[in-house]
Amino acid sequence: MTPAPLPEPSDQALVAAYRHGDQRAASELVRRHGPAVARFLYSSGALAADIEDLVQETLFRAFRGLDRWRGEASFRSWLFTIAGNLTRDAFRRRKGREVISLEDRDLPDRADPDAELAAGELEERLRAELGRLPRLQREVFLLRAQEGTSYEEIAAALGTTPGAARVHYHHAVKRLKELVG
Amino acid sequence: MSGCARLSDRMPEVVHGRSRWTPDEAAHLAGCADCRRELALVQATVAMGRKAPRLTDPANLAATVERRLAGARMRRRDGTRRIAGLAAAAALLIMVWGRWPERPAPAAESAGSPAQSLVPLPELELLDPAELDSLLQRMEVPSAGSSTLDAPGLGDLEDTELEQVLDTWEG
Repeated sequence: MTPAPLPEPSDQALVAAYRHGDQRAASELVRRHGPAVARFLYSSGALAADIEDLVQETLFRAFRGLDRWRGEASFRSWLFTIAGNLTRDAFRRRKGREVISLEDRDLPDRADPDAELAAGELEERLRAELGRLPRLQREVFLLRAQEGTSYEEIAAALGTTPGAARVHYHHAVKRLKELVG
Repeated sequence: MSGCARLSDRMPEVVHGRSRWTPDEAAHLAGCADCRRELALVQATVAMGRKAPRLTDPANLAATVERRLAGARMRRRDGTRRIAGLAAAAALLIMVWGRWPERPAPAAESAGSPAQSLVPLPELELLDPAELDSLLQRMEVPSAGSSTLDAPGLGDLEDTELEQVLDTWEG
């Protein structure tokens, strides 16, 4: 009989281990949350070529300011708020210029090229429209729709109430639904 | 809560595979074009996230972040050491100056002569005028009548004192 696998350590436990100098804890946190941060940044309109750097910057700022994470929101949600700040700064630098492009990986290469192309175009429009949403609406929508985060946790991460988070989500949905045929 | 609102609240859970539609919800969905559009939107958003560029090497990324953190910590330490070095240099200067109260005042005509070497103190340039004044007031100028800020030459110092001065300047 094989022994039951040990439960994965919580984020709090990993953060505590990192604070005591355990570098492997940081690697585990990056492995656990890095891809989700990349998804969030990409969906928020960040350029694909910038994602790796932005994820790195998000993690750098997070570990540098670890004392500010009080554990009220999940570590991932906290990372998203930092990534959201970076995205906002990137938008400011670009001054609203649209730089989202249809990249090679979005081109159809499967059995139904028309459907693939339509899906790719919808995603591009979605990314562009997400970039135009007010920040709170965008972040609430992505946390809720893309990550399945509860309103309570979204509220804790973004410094609002669950009721307000729900309202932001529905405003975002109302606007984005127009893109879906 | 209306059927549409209830479905909207449940959509992320269902799309992420954490839950399934109940028969009632499935029936509502079949008859509500607005809810179907919202479901399509949530599905498209999840699909969009899956197309995000993959991180090449999370372990390497963590190591890079740790290197940057170490660099930031070192820069902070360097800043602290620089300030401490400046304070130590000022203190040492006062101490050294205090050891030559009987030093004769330089002749007025010899001021600026090459033989009279002034000790260059780049740290002093970093002091505020008020700090500089305070420092100068604490120094006992050898001759009250002298208007020249003549520092003792490095050659006047003992070897250990010279090393201390040089160490302090080098931070």
